[in-house]
Amino acid sequence: MKENRIEKRLAQCREQNKKAFITYMTAGLPDMEMTAKIIKAQEEAGTDIIELGVPFSDPVADGPVIQNASYRSILNGTNLNKIFCMVEKLREDGCEQPMLFMMYYNTVLYYGVDAFARKCAEVGIDGLIIPDLPYEEQEELQEALSAVEDAPILIQLVSPVSGKRIPMLLENARGFVYCVSSMGVTGQNADFHRNVIQYLQSVKDVSKIPVMMGFGIREARDVEPMKDIIDGCIVGSHFIDLMEKSGYDLTAIRDYVSTFKRELNQ
Amino acid sequence: MKKTYYGEFGGQYVAESLMNTLEELDRAFEEAIADPKFWEEYDYYMKQYVGRETPLYLAERLSEKYGTKIYLKREDLNHTGAHKINNVIGQILLARRMGKKKVICETGAGQHGVATATGAALFGMECTVYMGSEDIERQHLNVMRMELLGARVVSVTSGSNTLKDATNEAIRIWAKEAEDTFYIIGSAVGPYPYPKMVKEFQKVISIEAKKQFLEAEGRLPDVVMACVGGGSNSIGMFADFIEESGVELIGVEAAGMGIETGKHASAMALGRPGTLHGMRSFLLQDENGNVQLAHSISAGLDYPGVGPEHAYLKETGRAIYTSITDDEAMEALSEISKLEGIIPAIESAHALAYAFKKAKTMTKDQAIIVCLSGRGDKDMHTVESYFSGNGYLN
Repeated sequence: MKENRIEKRLAQCREQNKKAFITYMTAGLPDMEMTAKIIKAQEEAGTDIIELGVPFSDPVADGPVIQNASYRSILNGTNLNKIFCMVEKLREDGCEQPMLFMMYYNTVLYYGVDAFARKCAEVGIDGLIIPDLPYEEQEELQEALSAVEDAPILIQLVSPVSGKRIPMLLENARGFVYCVSSMGVTGQNADFHRNVIQYLQSVKDVSKIPVMMGFGIREARDVEPMKDIIDGCIVGSHFIDLMEKSGYDLTAIRDYVSTFKRELNQ
Repeated sequence: MKKTYYGEFGGQYVAESLMNTLEELDRAFEEAIADPKFWEEYDYYMKQYVGRETPLYLAERLSEKYGTKIYLKREDLNHTGAHKINNVIGQILLARRMGKKKVICETGAGQHGVATATGAALFGMECTVYMGSEDIERQHLNVMRMELLGARVVSVTSGSNTLKDATNEAIRIWAKEAEDTFYIIGSAVGPYPYPKMVKEFQKVISIEAKKQFLEAEGRLPDVVMACVGGGSNSIGMFADFIEESGVELIGVEAAGMGIETGKHASAMALGRPGTLHGMRSFLLQDENGNVQLAHSISAGLDYPGVGPEHAYLKETGRAIYTSITDDEAMEALSEISKLEGIIPAIESAHALAYAFKKAKTMTKDQAIIVCLSGRGDKDMHTVESYFSGNGYLN
């Protein structure tokens, strides 16, 4: 069994006493070829983990930016098979970037849960974030994943109102804990929950694995107040906006990533 | 079987941030339905405000023409013109009990939005309705109604700009504002306990119908029938008959321009199990597992999924699901208007159209109850456009 790339990378961050930086990008934008190039550019620039968005027609956990990205990517003809092919090719070319899928459960069901688990392991997907699959509905997928060698880790999400549910959510959690910073959807411009510090601290206190904060983050300074608590953060909507506005310019993407990483660790 | 499931259907496919909300809702709901005072209040408003009970009317001329007794459960005579208000009153009473000050809802053609705005006005609650921008244009009169009733109508521009997207948006807002906001879902869909809740508040249809039929005929009906979009009037019409194994239950979906054309809304005929709007059920999907747009002349049946209990009733064989095309429904609408002086909603006309087919296989002494879920006033624009040969607007 190989060491999971996400766990490996986060262990390195910990050893080097560094915060991890995770980005989200919708697969297939502006096209699949560029998606692969953007992943490579990010690998060079130091993104620790890439969340690859698998577009779905009804992205109920996402705000307008990712909704639109998802919609455009579907119109481009993006689908799960093409994304698997792209990832497979990257791995063949020697890309060791930790990568996970952010997707909705219907896409998994449609592919077939067992076949999906096997295919992820085969092409080298390291983790899964499925925002409409809460803990109570995970059994089917976890069973399929546990039957496969080198299967991706199903990342657990925690929300500001999870409260009493936190110990249950964290008990067998692997990789990292995804702390959603606010109520509602992605991309709400640093409009964090009013008790965000207290909430992050309560997760950090009981978590044996790294704690990442996501939703609404744009710049490293947005997480300045909670930097001592979290082990890293995730940028999604803002990153998509930035790529879009720069016309998917690889230099602009590299600059953003390296600047964020530097500032996050200052 | 897990409490939240109907066989393999149902569940709670929502964000982690809503799980506590659903638990709180489930607890409050179970407490409410075990409390006689809650039902006293519900019954009071059903009688004094909605105008229940609604008649079970023996449609004599239709019965004569089709050779079997056809009874109509007249939900069209409810205040606001359809069965939707039964559920809205139930959920608003629950929201009030839970101390919520605001309600939100999704709406397609606007019927559930109007019913929710009505209930919110009745109980002095703030109401926001999410409606696809396409639907807002097509259903301008209902937008006016909702606004007149004091609701705020928010235009949703995302995805296909229709009901399914309005529902997504309502779920997004709910995830954000659940602390003081109650989400009133209009059909027997959504995460548990919504399908159970909607059934509980629509059950009044079959409880009344069973009693009325017994009084009229001294026995149980042979067939009970209703149209199915998400499935709220049908689950209400079936509810009290599910345990009566001698009663045949038939749900009628919209076949749109014909199942074979791909332009239809029949999740049971061609859908496969998937997850949408917090539930696992039959769902119309494309070759990539994206949700497909449904198509029907009737806006109320124009939904790509179906309530999880219906999926379960189909799988277990307890109910049969079939479908009726736009043309068949419009012909039935025209016929009952002329033969009985009742203009039905186009949704209900689907059930009627199938009742006429079914009646031909039955005898004079047998009987069908058809749920006439709503009245046709809201559809006059579509009817005009259809019969003048201009295509239609939905």
